[in-house]
Amino acid sequence: MARLLLLACQATANTVENEQKSMQVAAVDTSKVSTDAFLKNRLEIVRVDKKELPDGLLKVQVTARNVRTGFWTQLASWFMGDNPYQIAYRFTWLDIDGMEVETAASTWIPKTVIPGDTVRLNAVSPNPRCKDFTLSIRENDAARG
Amino acid sequence: MNTKIISLIGITSTALLLTACGPSVKRIDATGNEGLVTVDEVDFKDWQIAAEKGINSLLASGVLNRSDGRKSILMISTVKNSTMQHINTRILTDKIRQALLRSGKVLTTTAVGGNGPDDMASKQVRRLEEDDMFNQSTVQKRGTAIAPDMSFSGEIVQQTSSQGRMRESYFFFHMALTDLATGLAVWEDNVEIAKQGKKPLMGW
Repeated sequence: MARLLLLACQATANTVENEQKSMQVAAVDTSKVSTDAFLKNRLEIVRVDKKELPDGLLKVQVTARNVRTGFWTQLASWFMGDNPYQIAYRFTWLDIDGMEVETAASTWIPKTVIPGDTVRLNAVSPNPRCKDFTLSIRENDAARG
Repeated sequence: MNTKIISLIGITSTALLLTACGPSVKRIDATGNEGLVTVDEVDFKDWQIAAEKGINSLLASGVLNRSDGRKSILMISTVKNSTMQHINTRILTDKIRQALLRSGKVLTTTAVGGNGPDDMASKQVRRLEEDDMFNQSTVQKRGTAIAPDMSFSGEIVQQTSSQGRMRESYFFFHMALTDLATGLAVWEDNVEIAKQGKKPLMGW
């Protein structure tokens, strides 16, 4: 019963955004990392990098680490079905006006994160008009054992 | 009075029973994670993952940039289906073609393709020069269509295995971009998708 209750709390989306915005809108001037309590306690966002490619496309990389290490923590993770941790992520791209750029392929990508492991979530902007991005991360219930 | 109450309960119970037996259908988010996951088939989510990873890899490679500033003309060749399923690889090729077109790096041609032209019109309208119904100055001329510089092709391979009640499928999406001037592959990548499922003790 407790497990059911806990699982029910893990279906929210979580986002991380780049701090230095290029878009000219009234955006917050801080790096925005919002995660629910469950994801926050399991997946730590280590850093967010972006690089402009020679052809004007933007490549971003979000580095995250599964911080569920230690015997009791892993035991709890095993009981919860979180070991390894299953997440899904999706990038959303914004133009210089802060408008979302529709892409031909934007879907939730599943990823397995072993406790203590560091993963890098990469994406390349669909066209040179994209200047900013949002990364949404959620627990991937569909992949849980 | 009692008869009326009993009748009412009976009608209500029947209605509830019929409702419970009705089909449970709902719309789902096509970009979400709610779709069915099968072991033996390429599900719509698998196509989306393969397309997104392929597009990311292709855009990041930089092979679409030309030194002369002109946009490359891309044709879609064939994506061979080497799985045990009857699948339409167009889901993959369409997503990739649209993404590359929207990237502004290439122009795609529908006048020629690995399985014949996507759009027969380019050829059909040129036959109008034999038709005196049309103003010949408005008919598209021969020798004006632009031939492709690059070709996108691929193959999807499936390998299955099982152990006890556990079944597994491994799908290997191979994608390549060929420079048609030289015949050399200027980009290649693979997307791998593996799925497992356990058969129930009874039934399938």
